[in-house]
Amino acid sequence: METLTSFGNGLLVALEPANLLYCFVGVFLGTFIGVLPGIGSMAAISMILPLTFYLEPTSALVMIAGVYYGAEYGGSIASILMNIPGTPSSSITCIDGYPMAREGRAGIALFTSAIASFGGGIAGMIVMALLAPALAGLALNFGPTEYFAVILLGLVAASAVSNGNPIKGIAMVVAGLMLGTVGVDITTGAERFTMGIPELRDGVHLVIIAMGLFGVGELIVSIRANASGAHQNEIDYAKFYPTKAEWKSMFAPILRGSGIGSFIGALPGTGQTVASAVAYAVEKKVSPNRARFGKGAIEGVAVPEAANNSATQTAFIPTLTLGVPGSASMALVIGALMMYGIVPGPRLLVDHSDLFWGLVASFLIGNVLLLILNIPLIGLWVRLLKIPYRYMYPTIIVLICVGVYSLNNNVFDVWLTLVFGWVGYLMRLFRFEPAPFLLGFVLGPMMEEQLRRAMLLSRGDATVFLTRPISGTLIAITALLLAYAVYSAVKQRRARLNASAITEQ
Amino acid sequence: MKQLLSRPWRSAEKDGAPHPYLAALGGAGFLVLSLIFIVGGFELGLGSPRRLGTGAFPVITGIILAILSLAVIAADLRDTPDTVIPDWISFFAIGGALAVFALTVGRIGLVPGVFLTVVTASLPDRSLGFPGKFILGAGVALACWGLFIGVIGLPFDAFMGF
Repeated sequence: METLTSFGNGLLVALEPANLLYCFVGVFLGTFIGVLPGIGSMAAISMILPLTFYLEPTSALVMIAGVYYGAEYGGSIASILMNIPGTPSSSITCIDGYPMAREGRAGIALFTSAIASFGGGIAGMIVMALLAPALAGLALNFGPTEYFAVILLGLVAASAVSNGNPIKGIAMVVAGLMLGTVGVDITTGAERFTMGIPELRDGVHLVIIAMGLFGVGELIVSIRANASGAHQNEIDYAKFYPTKAEWKSMFAPILRGSGIGSFIGALPGTGQTVASAVAYAVEKKVSPNRARFGKGAIEGVAVPEAANNSATQTAFIPTLTLGVPGSASMALVIGALMMYGIVPGPRLLVDHSDLFWGLVASFLIGNVLLLILNIPLIGLWVRLLKIPYRYMYPTIIVLICVGVYSLNNNVFDVWLTLVFGWVGYLMRLFRFEPAPFLLGFVLGPMMEEQLRRAMLLSRGDATVFLTRPISGTLIAITALLLAYAVYSAVKQRRARLNASAITEQ
Repeated sequence: MKQLLSRPWRSAEKDGAPHPYLAALGGAGFLVLSLIFIVGGFELGLGSPRRLGTGAFPVITGIILAILSLAVIAADLRDTPDTVIPDWISFFAIGGALAVFALTVGRIGLVPGVFLTVVTASLPDRSLGFPGKFILGAGVALACWGLFIGVIGLPFDAFMGF
């Protein structure tokens, strides 16, 4: 009952004209940017972040959330129409979405994606409304030891479970933690690694790192990828309403995808890509239509889209209630909140309940807007994809430049973005995923602070992390995950060696 | 040498296979970074276990990163990652565009700065001729003027030094 009352109050906040407008703008811009191939939700949020500095915290968060799930939805449009995932999590949608488009069923695939995203989004919102207060209540008992352990678990989970080599992922997290120490130490006031540059005394701005690593880095990659013009195929978009049989076949997969996505999204460090992949794998096992998977099965579009969008909503649970982001995009949300002086954690629900419940209610409105916006706009997105990329990317570069420059009206920030952009590109070349780096950077200062507090309270006894029940359990789970990371790395290597042996034969 | 510069991910001996030493450069870069933080952290002071000093966290993370870097280097040398051919033209054009923006926006203003940034960014694209690049640059510059200065009211100068 209390949850319903709080949700009702949140709905009133979300329905305020300003918040409604920013939700609409966020969803629209997010979808618009997400549609562009190679530009994910991370880059979309990075580009929008400087604009939100001029807004009220609730409006800003509602707009960022709108951009986030708008971009996640937009990513599926590029996946279905061009076989180029707009976001990593929508890569699973390519498997059946693109074959559907090739069969002339692009309209139905896009419609299914919109309906599944809506269903997943609503399921995720319900899970968040029910689960977040309970988790926040539990987290109120947390001390510095438990916080340190939960941050450690989140970071290791994000790097060990994410795509790519887990050892490289953990290295990226640690590098991010190190970069987070640049600037003035808040405890002692001493400058660390500023090299005498006054602009670095406050540390490196989160937006600069995000814009550089994700915005600029992804742009450099996407120029060549989009130069081929491989997506200029002729597809019939006019027919998009599914038949009765198709409606029937997508209903159960949407429910299953929403359930799996809601659960996985709520775990720190997993994210939508894992949610989509697991949901697709499960559906492939249980679906009566499993033989069609990979050849244009409607279930193959419905399941990952529902899982992806429900995970997008439930990813806010650990982010807001524990202050531990499950993904790099969520790390940006934490960064944005901190810029307003709002510290995410269990107190958020007590101290800023309007903001929290306003955000939850905005998910409902945002998902309805996504549906209303996207079904009639399918034609517009298709036309947008026909604009040559050569006109797009110089414009995006300018948006990045202006966004970074507007932070402090200082060109030093633009130079720093250039450096991080190049570093981001080189990281991709060397097969280092940049997302864990950002997580480490955001959580580094918090982790250091909790470590110092825990050591002070325990009078220098480091075993306190193992002897306290909650932190001990969390550290044990972290150790298991690390063991899994090593096992996974060995397994990946064996698979590669086997593959190369078969190729040589 | 010429081949290394143009296709540095591929070995000179065996076309198609990534050069093992170059593939390990990523891990080596992280190793150097970790050493900088370890040395810097020691200079800042480690403090005591009860009161961790300013340099303690950088040293702890630096040591962990150094160990991980060695593991990454060993792994990349043992079996090199998949071949990736770098796109240096886009790399330098996009970097150049950011540099042009940084050099011009405070000197000649937002509108000319954006114009030059767009023209620089579009240089690697040969399908768009110079008249097209100039028209695109002018269009984006005018749109930025209208949006960022006119509508949002950001405190930028549209033109400077003219």
